[in-house]
Amino acid sequence: MTKVDLTPAFLIHRRAFKESSLLLDFFTLEYGKIRLVGRGLRKSKTNIQMFQCLNISFSGKGELKTLSNWEVDDTPRIIKGEALILSMYVNELISRLLFDQDPHFKLFEIYKQFIVQITNMNQQAGYWLLRLFENNLLSELGYALDLSHDINGNDINKNNRYEYQHQLGFLHADTGKISGKLINQMLIEDIENMPDAQQLKVCRDLNRQRLNPLLGNKPLKSRSLFFTK
Amino acid sequence: MIEKLNKTFCALPGVGSKTAQRFVYHLLERDREGGFELAKALVDAMEHVKHCSSCRTLSEKNICNICANDVRDSSQLCIVETPTDIHAIEQSGVYKGKYFVLSGYLSPIDGIGAAELGLDELEQKLRNLKVEEIILATNATVEGEVTAHYISNMAKQFDVQITRIAHGIPIGGELEYADINTIAHALSGRKNYD
Repeated sequence: MTKVDLTPAFLIHRRAFKESSLLLDFFTLEYGKIRLVGRGLRKSKTNIQMFQCLNISFSGKGELKTLSNWEVDDTPRIIKGEALILSMYVNELISRLLFDQDPHFKLFEIYKQFIVQITNMNQQAGYWLLRLFENNLLSELGYALDLSHDINGNDINKNNRYEYQHQLGFLHADTGKISGKLINQMLIEDIENMPDAQQLKVCRDLNRQRLNPLLGNKPLKSRSLFFTK
Repeated sequence: MIEKLNKTFCALPGVGSKTAQRFVYHLLERDREGGFELAKALVDAMEHVKHCSSCRTLSEKNICNICANDVRDSSQLCIVETPTDIHAIEQSGVYKGKYFVLSGYLSPIDGIGAAELGLDELEQKLRNLKVEEIILATNATVEGEVTAHYISNMAKQFDVQITRIAHGIPIGGELEYADINTIAHALSGRKNYD
């Protein structure tokens, strides 16, 4: 019998379960991604919401445990428009890529920051924040990229161009699409000083190339929700 | 045969084997006639009820009563998640326009995207019909909000006013007992008092 009392968590997905219950996927600080059943929650008036830091308690014997209590531990937040789509995309990434009950303390904090920052961001800045989140997610999963050196061990030079060699790293090439400046911005995670629109697209394609093998042959559905292709 | 009927009743939401057993014995012992009527009504409904070809709600006709009603204002289109939402809005009696039913909400993780909600059909409708206002009446959940945002983006290309139903303190409700998100929404969506 497991019994956990008030652990920090974010709800990342929910779906109806039986007549009045919900199946809830949480991203928790101490237990990583976990699926719980919320009995009778569909009938409750104040429903449990995403993008809010919660404290949850759960217990149970089998694989599917039951949510016994939850409370909001966050300020009210209204995420709207494009920022909402980006946040859903992040939830889908977490849902697809993390293993159940495998804690990621650092990623939890980064997710928390992401939700706070995305709320008031314009579209371009939101995309940049998302790219940095993807980088952190990949690093946490063990697919970190060396952003300080190229394949040959030389320091990344801001003024050089690079191309990405899958699973190896960056290769100095004058015809490369990736600027040394972008790699540098990715390294220092500079939110204020973001790359231009063209380099932001390069960054998107780079991350897509890195994420796709992990996602297998089932593409992310959230991508089809993005309007600006 | 009894066993089979018992199992069939269990397919209904909220009906477990105990309740199913009560249903079965009630019909067999006390109300055979009612049982026949139930069976006939079920067969009829299962065979003939389909989705309205205009608004996608459940209907026994090709075009449902609301869509076929010329008195209703076809310049207003209210977009809801389920046919039961139509029923709820109709009971309020204040809406005289037409509807469009999504039969769900956008849920990327479950693989439900724009195509599954018939949004292509909605786009066609906006292109071909003279709609002046669409009212986004999806639920006040994150998923409902995402769906509303997606539809509003899609509808921007047409000359149409896009509105969203208000979220706030329920009538008869007390502020003290409202949750903080509802209060935040209610304050940010406040109106001039007249």
